[in-house]
Amino acid sequence: MVLAVLLHANGEWSHGYELVRLADVKSGTLYPLLIRLEAQGYLEAQWQQPAEGGRPPRHAYRLTASGTLLARANPPAHAQNAAMRVPKVTV
Amino acid sequence: MSGGLRRGMADLACRALQAALPPSLQSWGAAIRCETADITDDTEALLYALDSFYGLMPRALAWHLLRPFASLVGDGAPFNGDSIMIKLYDATIRRPRATGAACAIAAVTLGLVHMAAAGAPARYLAINACALILGLAILALPGRTMPGGRRLTGAAIVAMAGALLATALLGVSVDGAARWVRLGGFSIQPSLLLLPVMLVAFAQCRGTVATWGMSAAAVAMAIQPDRAMAGMLVAGLAALAIMRSERFVVTALGVSIAGFAATMARSDTLMAVPYVDGIFYSSFEVHALTGAAVVGGAMLLLVPAIVGWYRDPSNRATYAAFFAAWLAAILAAAVGNYPTPIVGYGSSAIIGYALSLLALPTLAQAPAEAASQAHGDADTIPPDRHLHVSLA
Repeated sequence: MVLAVLLHANGEWSHGYELVRLADVKSGTLYPLLIRLEAQGYLEAQWQQPAEGGRPPRHAYRLTASGTLLARANPPAHAQNAAMRVPKVTV
Repeated sequence: MSGGLRRGMADLACRALQAALPPSLQSWGAAIRCETADITDDTEALLYALDSFYGLMPRALAWHLLRPFASLVGDGAPFNGDSIMIKLYDATIRRPRATGAACAIAAVTLGLVHMAAAGAPARYLAINACALILGLAILALPGRTMPGGRRLTGAAIVAMAGALLATALLGVSVDGAARWVRLGGFSIQPSLLLLPVMLVAFAQCRGTVATWGMSAAAVAMAIQPDRAMAGMLVAGLAALAIMRSERFVVTALGVSIAGFAATMARSDTLMAVPYVDGIFYSSFEVHALTGAAVVGGAMLLLVPAIVGWYRDPSNRATYAAFFAAWLAAILAAAVGNYPTPIVGYGSSAIIGYALSLLALPTLAQAPAEAASQAHGDADTIPPDRHLHVSLA
């Protein structure tokens, strides 16, 4: 589901808490996966400064080209349904 | 709990995690901390932090343990999918049976250490080691699930109760206690072999036939008489009755309490057998470390039930029965001249423990699904393949 959500973001950056909610996984499941995906070159990560003052910077993620191929090659069960209800993630 | 406290706990968990992560992953720790801080709801923030802690801390600890071998396994081994240690960790923690197999191996080993240090005959050590191998072989058998149907399970419970009654009536008697049968030159205690598996099976498949079987087992314990095993039956059924107060369970519990009362009314004059009974005390006379090994080994027997309780909420009644049964056996060994399971000399308890593991549910379903998502998304390898030697 995480890959499906990242794929559906269509190249836009996503944040951890958004991924947890949209993919319906726990953060303890999400971060080991993100770490692995980044280590294997499927994911880009970058720090983003907050738009408003007083907020912390945030780590944002998006699929690389190879990650996009991986996500397309491995659709989760009910991926289509899930993608239908996932709103566009825009940062 | 106040919002400030929740926020503080969340930040503390994030800081602890960040401190534990290897240098190459420090940015991920910071990412979790910042993301947690950005969540407006205090409870959500705390849950987010704790979940992250739960998911990454075992890997961070594994990384610290593997540091001396970093040149062999790679610096970030615990954080990529190829780490053997993490694969084993993931696979065992999701499978109470596999956890139990690991605990049995550790407990028997600790018991062997004690017996070797205490000067037990080499034959004793060999028998326990062989019993462990046999137990693991039973767990690894193909088609290793217990009979699934209620009728089959009920019939199996009745058959095992029949074996216990036969032992009480026809078994080897020592000082008025008929608890053993001779098999191939070995003295076997059928109640230690069969009662735990009967309890775990009954917890999952309760019915009229199974209740008759459990009641017959209680009668057998009263006839033998065997306070320890009668106590195990009461403890297991009481735990089950707390979780599932159905008439079948309550009936079996009532009969087992009566059976236990009967064993208490009868005299029990059996002397302690070296390396079998009373070793919670004698092991400390050998050395404090051997004592700690024996106590620690005995406690390990309860771990599968604890893991199952947390990982598989839908089967908590079964894990409660398993926990209570083995805790009763341990306590009985601590207070009377009864066999100390697994860590003491005796193959019956080792094989009985393996059989009771065999009756446990195969997989903690809910967390496995979540973990499956995590692994499956990345490399599409089902978690079931993690343990090449599949025990559950």
